[in-house]
This record gives sequence, C-alpha cells and structure tokens, in this order.
Amino acid sequence: MNYFPWLTLIVVFPIAAGSLIFFLPHRGNKVTRGYTIYICVLELLLTTYAFCYNFQLDDPLIQLAEDYKWITFFEFDWRLGIDGLSIGPILLTGFITTLATLAARPVTLNSRLFHFLMLAMYSGQIGSFSSRDLLLFFIMWELELIPVYLLLSVWGGKKRLYSATKFILYTAGGSVFLLIGVLGIGLYGSNEPTLNLETLVNRSYPVALEIIFYIGFFIAFAVKLPIIPFHTWLPDTHGEAHYSTCMLLAGILLKMGAYGLIRINMELLPHAHSIFSPWFMIVGTVQIIYAASTSPGQRNLKKRIAYSSVSHMGFIILGIGSITDTGLNGAVLQIISHGLISAALFFLAGTSYDRIRFAYLDEMGGLAIPIPKIFTLFSILSMASLALPGMSGFVAELIVFFGIITSQKFFLMPKIVITFVMAIGMILTPIYSLSMLRQMFYGYKLFNAPNSYFFDSGPRELFVLISILLPVIGIGIYPDFVLSLSADKAEAIISNFFL
Amino acid sequence: MEHTYQYSWIIPLVPLPVPMLIGVGLLFFPTATKNLRRMWAFISILLLSIVMIFSIDLSIEQIDRTSIYQSLRTWTITSDLSFEFGYFIDPLTSIMSILITTVGILVLIYSDNYMSHDQGYLRFFAYMSFFNASMLGLVTSSNFIQIYIFWELVGMCSYLLIGFWFTRPIAAGACQKAFVTNRVGDFGLLLGILGLYWLTGSFEFRDLFEILKNLIYNNEVNLLFVTLCAFLLFAGPVAKSAQFPLHVWLPDAMEGPTPISALIHAATMVAAGIFLVARLLPLFIVIPYAMNLISLIGIITVFLGATLALAQQDIKRGLAYSTMSQLGYMMLALGMGSYRAALFHLITHAYSKALLFLGSGSIIHSMEAIVGYFPDKSQNMVLMGGLRKHVPITKTAFLVGTLSLCGIPPLACFWSKDEILNDTWLYSPIFATIAFFTAGLTAFYMFRIYLLTFEGPFNFCLQNYSGKKRNSLYSISLWGKEEPKPIKNKFHLVALLTMNNNKRASFFAKKTHRIASTVTNMPFITIFPFGAAKTFCYPHESDNTILFVMLVLVLFPLFVGAIGIPLNQEVIESDILSKLLTPSINLLQQNSTHFVDWYEVVKNPTLSVSITYFGILLAYFLYKPFYSSLHNWNILNFFAKRGPKRILWDKILNFLYDWSYNRAYIDAFYTRSLTEGIRGLAELTHLFDRRVIDGITNGVGITSFFVGEGIKYLGGSRISFYLLLYLFSLLFFLIFLFFFFFK
Repeated sequence: MNYFPWLTLIVVFPIAAGSLIFFLPHRGNKVTRGYTIYICVLELLLTTYAFCYNFQLDDPLIQLAEDYKWITFFEFDWRLGIDGLSIGPILLTGFITTLATLAARPVTLNSRLFHFLMLAMYSGQIGSFSSRDLLLFFIMWELELIPVYLLLSVWGGKKRLYSATKFILYTAGGSVFLLIGVLGIGLYGSNEPTLNLETLVNRSYPVALEIIFYIGFFIAFAVKLPIIPFHTWLPDTHGEAHYSTCMLLAGILLKMGAYGLIRINMELLPHAHSIFSPWFMIVGTVQIIYAASTSPGQRNLKKRIAYSSVSHMGFIILGIGSITDTGLNGAVLQIISHGLISAALFFLAGTSYDRIRFAYLDEMGGLAIPIPKIFTLFSILSMASLALPGMSGFVAELIVFFGIITSQKFFLMPKIVITFVMAIGMILTPIYSLSMLRQMFYGYKLFNAPNSYFFDSGPRELFVLISILLPVIGIGIYPDFVLSLSADKAEAIISNFFL
Repeated sequence: MEHTYQYSWIIPLVPLPVPMLIGVGLLFFPTATKNLRRMWAFISILLLSIVMIFSIDLSIEQIDRTSIYQSLRTWTITSDLSFEFGYFIDPLTSIMSILITTVGILVLIYSDNYMSHDQGYLRFFAYMSFFNASMLGLVTSSNFIQIYIFWELVGMCSYLLIGFWFTRPIAAGACQKAFVTNRVGDFGLLLGILGLYWLTGSFEFRDLFEILKNLIYNNEVNLLFVTLCAFLLFAGPVAKSAQFPLHVWLPDAMEGPTPISALIHAATMVAAGIFLVARLLPLFIVIPYAMNLISLIGIITVFLGATLALAQQDIKRGLAYSTMSQLGYMMLALGMGSYRAALFHLITHAYSKALLFLGSGSIIHSMEAIVGYFPDKSQNMVLMGGLRKHVPITKTAFLVGTLSLCGIPPLACFWSKDEILNDTWLYSPIFATIAFFTAGLTAFYMFRIYLLTFEGPFNFCLQNYSGKKRNSLYSISLWGKEEPKPIKNKFHLVALLTMNNNKRASFFAKKTHRIASTVTNMPFITIFPFGAAKTFCYPHESDNTILFVMLVLVLFPLFVGAIGIPLNQEVIESDILSKLLTPSINLLQQNSTHFVDWYEVVKNPTLSVSITYFGILLAYFLYKPFYSSLHNWNILNFFAKRGPKRILWDKILNFLYDWSYNRAYIDAFYTRSLTEGIRGLAELTHLFDRRVIDGITNGVGITSFFVGEGIKYLGGSRISFYLLLYLFSLLFFLIFLFFFFFK
C-alpha cells in the first residue's frame, strides 16, 4: 500500500497546469498549443503509470483510495478512488482529450482560453469518474459543464448561441434533479449527512423514497446520456460545436451519464433499478429504432453522426437494464467503444468540413478522389460504427444481446420482442451510415476551380485517426482488454440484485 | 499426421498479411508501395498457393481416413458466457478451401492483367486477399459466433469490391444495396443464433446439434420456437446465396470488376450460403418444416433466376441470374437432403461459372477498347456478336463453360445437375417438372448469351455502317417491345462484305499486338491505334495472362466431374467425393438410398439431356446467325407471315421480355415499398423530432422568455405602476370580500 496521492495529482494536475497558460509569454498560439499537448500527454502517461503499478485487476474493491477532510461541518470529504468500472472511462478520457487537443491545432481564435478550457474539462471529467463522494461527484459534474458551454458558445458554428443555451439549460435542468437526489440521499436517515459512496451502498430505503431518488438521478443522467425524449440538445450541440469539442462531448461527456447510471442508480438503488429495468429495456429499444430512423432524415453530416450516437446509446441503456453480468459488461464495453468510434467519426466529419466547407450531405459528393485517405478512414470507421465484426462495436453489441437473452428477470416473449426490435436497428444502421458514405464520397463532382485545392489528411490527422483506430480494432479482436477491467466489478454490482 | 491438423489454424491467417501491409503502405508510403505493385500481387498469389497446397494435403488425408478435427481456444470470458475461437476441419471444410484457393489463385493471376491499368490496382489486391482470408476463416470456423463474424467480413469485402469503382454512381448504389440486403440476412442469422443459444446454451456445432436433437426427441422444447429459429437462421443463407426474396443485390453486384464477379459473386461468397446450410443440415434435418422451406425457396429461385436470365442485355447480368438459378438448384438439393449432390454441384458450378465470368471479362476487355469504358456499352450484348473470329481462345473457353453449365454429358455440371434432377424425382414430381423445365431454360439462355456474343456479325461496327442505333436486323428485337420487322437480306450482305474486309486488318492488328505484348509485357491498350478506328474496329484477343488463366480453368469443367463419378460400378460410394463426404453423410444418418438405384441415374440423363438439347436448338433457332443458315429463312418468314398466331407469340414474348427486363418487378416493388417507406419514416421521425420533442423544449424556452419579459414589464420600477397595481388588487380583494361575506 502506498500513500502517494496519485488520484489527487491526476485530478488536479491538468487544471492547475492549465491555469498557468495565462501566465505564459505572448508568443503566439504555438507556445500554448505545445504546452497544452505536453500537459495532456504527461497527464496520460501519469495516469497510465499510476494505474499500471498501483491497480490490481482482480480486486473489485476501491483502490487508490484517498480521503481528506474538506468541510468537516457536514462531513464533506475529498474522497477519491477508482475501481474496475471507472478505470476504463478515466483512461478513455485521457486518451480522447489528448487527441482532441491535438485535433484542435487549427483553432486560432483566442487559443489560450480554448486550451485552458480543454484542460479544465480534463480535470472535471477525471474528477467525476474518480470521486467517491456524492457531493464531490456533483461538483465535478457541474465543473465540467462550464467549459463545454464556453467552448460551444465561442468556437461554435453559426447557431452556436442557440445550441449553447439549449445545452446549458438542458444539462443545468438535469443537474437540479441530480442535486435533489444527492441531498436527499445524503440527508436521509441519520442526523449527520452521509455522502460517502461506500457507506451508501449498504443502505436501504423505503421503496417509495427509493423510487423518488431513482427518478431524480435518472432524469439527470438521462439528459446527459441522452435518453429519449431528452436528446434534442445533442444533435444541435454536435452540429454547431468545433470538432474537437465534439470529440470530447461524444467521446466522454455522454459516457458520464452512463457511468452515473451504473454507479448511482444501479449500485446505490438496486431495488428501484430492478423495478424500473423493464422500462429501461423498452426505452432502450425504442431509442435504437427511433434515432436510427431519424438519422437518415438529417441533411447535416454532423447531426447524422450525432443521431447515430444517440442510437448507439440505446445499447448501453439495454445493457444496464438487463441486470445481468454480461449485459453490464457489454454496456461498459460499449461506453469505451462508442467513445472511441464516435470521437473519430466527429473528427473525420470536422476535417472534411474544413476542406470542402459544405455541411450538408446533398451538396457533397465525389470526395473520394481528392481526399482518398480520409475516405479510407471514414469507411473503416463507419464500418466500425455499424458494428462490423473485428471492431469493438460488434463485440459490445453482441455482448449486450447475450446479456438480454440470458437475463433471468424477463419472460420469454418480451425478450424475443426486444431482441427482434433491437436487431431491426442492426438493419437500419448500415442504411444511414453507408448512405452517408455514398453521398459524401462516391460518385463524381466537379469542384469550383478556386476552392479545389484539397490537401489529403496530413500526418497529424492521420496520427489522431490511427491512434483511435488501433484500440478499436484491438478491442474488437481481443475484448478482454476492457472486459478484464470491468468483469469483477460488474459481477459485484450484479450480485447486489440477488441478495 | 496429426500435426497437419494442428497447424491448420493458419489457413485463414496466411493471406492476411497482404491486405494489412498494403493498407499500411498505402496510408503511409503511397509512392513506394505503388512502385512495388507487381510484387504485392506476386506475394498474395504465393501465399494463397501455400494455403492451397495445405488444404489439398488435408483433403488427401481425409480421403484415406476420414476424420473431423476440432480445436478451441477461449476468446473472451465473462462469468457466465464464454466465447471460443477455434477451427473445425472436416471434409466440407477441405473441399471448400480447395475451391476457394484454386479459384482465388486463378482469379488473382487473371486480375493482375485485367486490373493492370487501374488506379486502384493495389487496393484491389488488398481487398481480394482480405476476402480470401475471411472466406477461409468462414469455412474453417467451428462455432456460430465465428461463422457470424466471418460472414459479415465477407459481406464487407463484397461491399468494398462492388463499390470498387466508386466514381460510378450506379456502383455506389449497388454496393449499398448489397450490404443492406445482406444485413437483412445477417439480422435473421443473428437472431437464429441467439435463439438456438437460448435453447441449447452452446455455440459449438456438434454440441448444439446433439443437444437440440435430444431436446426434440424428448419433446422438451417448443417446436414452434425451434422452427422459427431455423427459419431465421435460414435467412442468412437466403441473402448471401441470393435466394428468392433477397436476391436483388446479386445482379447489381455486377457493377464490380469482372474478376470479382468470378470469384465472389459466382464461385465462393455466394456459395457460402450453401456451405452454411450444408454445415447446419443436421440441425435442419430434425425440423421437417425447415427442410420444406429450404427446398421451396430453392425451387422458386431456380425458376425465377432462369426466367429473369432470359432477356438480359448485359452479359454479366445474364450470368448473374444464371448463378442465382444454379444456386437455387443447390439449395433445392439441400432441402431434399441430398447433401452430396448439392456439394458436387457447388464445386462443378463454381468452376464453370468462374470460367464463364473470366471469359466475359476477357470479352469486356476486348470490347472496351472499341466501345469505350462504359459498362452499358462494353457489357452490352447488343453491341457484341461475331466475336468468334476475333477472340477464338476466349470463345473456346466460354463455349466449354456454357456447355458445362447446360449439362452436356462429358462436362462437369452434367454429373452434378443430373444427380440433383434425379433426386427431385424421388422428392416430388411437381418440383421435378419445374427443375427439368428449368434445365431446358438454362440451356436456352446460356446459348442465347453465347450466340449473341460470338456468332453473327459484329454489331458495333454494323451499327456504324447502317447508321442506326439498334438495327432491326438484330435478333434481340425479337424480345423487344417494337414489332419485329421482316428481315431484309440486304443488310447481312453488307455486313458480310465489311467483315471480310476488316478481318484482315484485325488479324494484322492482333499480330502486332502479340509482338508488342511479348516485348513490353504490357496490355494492348497503348498499342491500339485509335486514329484508324474506323477501318478496324474489331476487337482482338486479350493478353496472354488472361488466356492462360482461362485455359487452365477450362481443364476444371472438363475433368472435375470425375471426382463425383463412380469409378467402380459394383461398389457404391467408390467415387472420391463420396469417400470424402462419408463422415458427414453418416453424421446425417442417411442411408445411401440415393445411390442404390443406380439405374434411375442412368435412365434419367436421357430425359434431361434431351431437354437441354431442345433448349439449345430453340436458342439456335431464335438467335442463329443470319448468314450461316440461309435455309432457315423460309421457316422464319413462314412464321412471320402467319397472322393471329404471330401476334399471340409476340405478346408472350413481350410479356417475357418485360418480366425479365424489369427483374420480375421485384426490385421496383422493393424500391416502392421499402426504400420509400424508410425514407418516409425517416422524414416522419425527423419531423416528429423537430416539431414535437424539440418543439416542447423550444416552447418551454420561449414561454419562459415571455414570462420573464412580462415580469420585467410589470416590475419596471415605476412607483406609480406599483401603486396602481396595489390599489387594483386591494379593490379586487374588497369586492371579493364583499361578495363572499355579504351575500
């Protein structure tokens, strides 16, 4: 056991280093960019090092735990710790944020603030994944909204203010419920508030109260995940945001909702969860079909990808709702896999938009000849998104499927119906993603002479894409990379349901 | 020799390095990779040859002592679910892998020449090698999950290769159609797999069969559910093998390069469906309804494919529909339980059809130089004709393929098709009638293709001379919508003359091309003198590589039938194929009744062969070259002069033509119902999303804005207004009090 506060260091380091950006000498954007990337890489290496040497895979308990008194008045501690569930998202955060910073190199408008916000988000995300205290979780959750709002409203597209406002209202509205839930749980029962997650796990509540708490948390996470009908902020936000912001949003932010659902709704409120799980199944199935059938109607490229990620979130909901070991593992795997794939897709969409300056699919066409590398990678990643075997998405969806059919909670007929409808989503997915490819790249088109100097992707863009592609294929071929992290914890969570 | 089996896991892995290296190379070192392009082709052929030798070795061992070998390794484990990865070697696997590798090697050699001027030469080889790898993975896989994985990978390769020439909008549509149609099949396959897993708790074939059989015999399982699962499972092969409701992608898939059509869409990938049904036959056989469904789908496809092939103008589409029909035969055979016949036909058909496609590729290559690089022209049989003189070797090869596919006795397909036809008699007379009739149709359409392509005058030039787009002399107008006009003898005289003039020129051109090709080892396109195109617009033979490949492939239809012919009349199962398949047949617990009544087998060929000959004669009669058989004129004119019957005949022909030209209206139906339906649904949900769900959000936003504005207006910090408000509310309160208390 070592007492070095690794997690505190990891959480605080980016934002602390980021605030130094403003003290850097004014030497143009280059210094800021270089510094930020340096910080990001250092942080990623630090995280990897800490987890490599201080994390035991076969231990489902909290590790690297830290506990410092912060506000003694109501027992609010700076309490951090990770387990098998959170290690995956934390590593994903480090990975995606580093790549997003690299992707954001073309940003020149007020780049110091931009990079500071990126680093602040880095801290907020890692903080919320690693906090072991409800109030701390809430604070981190909120901390990370402000950078997103600013990133959207300053560096976005034409309708950025509308989408930023929509985003902040939606998520702040969700956060109200989160706060209600946090305070409710914290103040229930004993005289002094308990916010420690460890002690809260073993508590039980009256059914009605538990359901109320559950609904509160559920709304907060449903906005974030998003679950229909709370999803409309997502296409607007993604359609307007800069693509590095999109990478963060799609890659990590959405996953916080899923993480919260597992961490709080499943772990703390198991009875309510088993009451609500049929609704999860229904909502998840409907979401897959609904978003997949909305997606072909989108003309905007980024919105189409955004709806595809809404559709893929349905698999996470189903995995969580199935209350099986397998399903939960599938959900965790889908968190990681979709984080990688959607980040890469948004990056590709952004880079091709930088070149052609068309946002609408029906204006595009014939891009395969001028930008063959982007075409290749776009094809590969669309295939990954439509769950081609050998890529991570397939494994995740397959495991979720198995989670549902092995689920003991449901009867045969509902299971058949749900599996059937889910599988229809499997037909709809290639329709939108392949027609997106077709409209963008296939065919031929003469471009106007002044605009027609396209560069194919350069080494930086290739690096970003390849480094996302490698884990996607790696997980697809050997999914135990991720499953070995989460399997024990998932088992521990599920075992709560059968006590 | 146990270790041969032990190392057979490398079969799918051997061709894999090529696509990976080419992909990495093209992304990072494009110029260097492109400079070494011939070397990549060489490596991929070499690796595939290694696999071929390996699989031949395996099957030789299996002839001697039949064995099934299986090895498993865990892939991923969660607590209550473990996926395993392994390989499964049985005779079916070794037959399929020999088939894939032999056709694959020949097609790779062929496409080295065929694609040599294409920009995407390397991309092509990468896709091809990846396809070979995943196809080999498919045939060696040992459980359902593995099958599904490779099944999808194969489909993706097909998607990429159909859309290989991505600048063509038709190809872009075709590849998407192929993928989505196949995904519909995969949907069924996945659901079937899940259902069976739920029933039996196993993915592994043999365990699953055993458990399911016991469950059914002990009546422990809902038969309806099992049947549903089997039907769903069957949807996968239906899509992949282009069977009836999901066949629409196959003709469109001909947009891909011709070597692809030979390898993927004729010989191997479309046979994967047959392979899967053959693999799962122990499962289907315990569910009688499933077998009935399989044979029903088979017979529908046989007939539909044949009728659709009747009037195609595009040579490759004609062949594609023929493939569909032949696959239907195999499916029919499997549905009848005659495992051996289906596999036999699978092998013979693969080689014959690969030969036909490679021949058509050679023709297209020859035509492209004249009519331009445009599939509507270079593959159009209307513009061909009379190629016999110009491309003699291709013609010979194509003829062998055609004869084999028609089922003319010494050639390969005769033996296998005859076996299937024979088995249909035992199964059901109605099916047998249809199957026999379709055998005649097969002969008819194959010879129609052959005659239109190789016999008669060369129509592209003729078109130039006569100055008409489609001249009435051409016999395709027999199928046309316009009234067939009486044939004028003037035209073909002119044609004959010009042909004589130009033959010398084209002969000369061929000579120079031959010489040039030996010197520079480059295809002919550069040498062709375009300036003088008017005087010699005749196609010439393809390059030596292409011819070599076709000549090698000619040997297969000639001799591959031998593996299924009983060498020794007394002993049943003396042929190689039966020996090889004995364990699988035993697995099915079939006694070999089908082979006992050998006299039936001898008796039947007379019927089938005579039907075939009748079809060929009919084709000759309708599409015969005009100059060669003058004595038939009178008969045709005689036909032409008969009034009312002629009109009826035309009506029938027009109906058939429309039926075939419009693809039996199935494509139109799908477009109308499904594509439009999905578009409509997308629009609807999009509208719903925008107006209702987003509308509520925006409505809340706007309402709060107005409320805020209203409050701001009310609270405008004017004392007089506050006083007014205060007095008014006081007044209301007083009035209220007054009414309430003093009433």
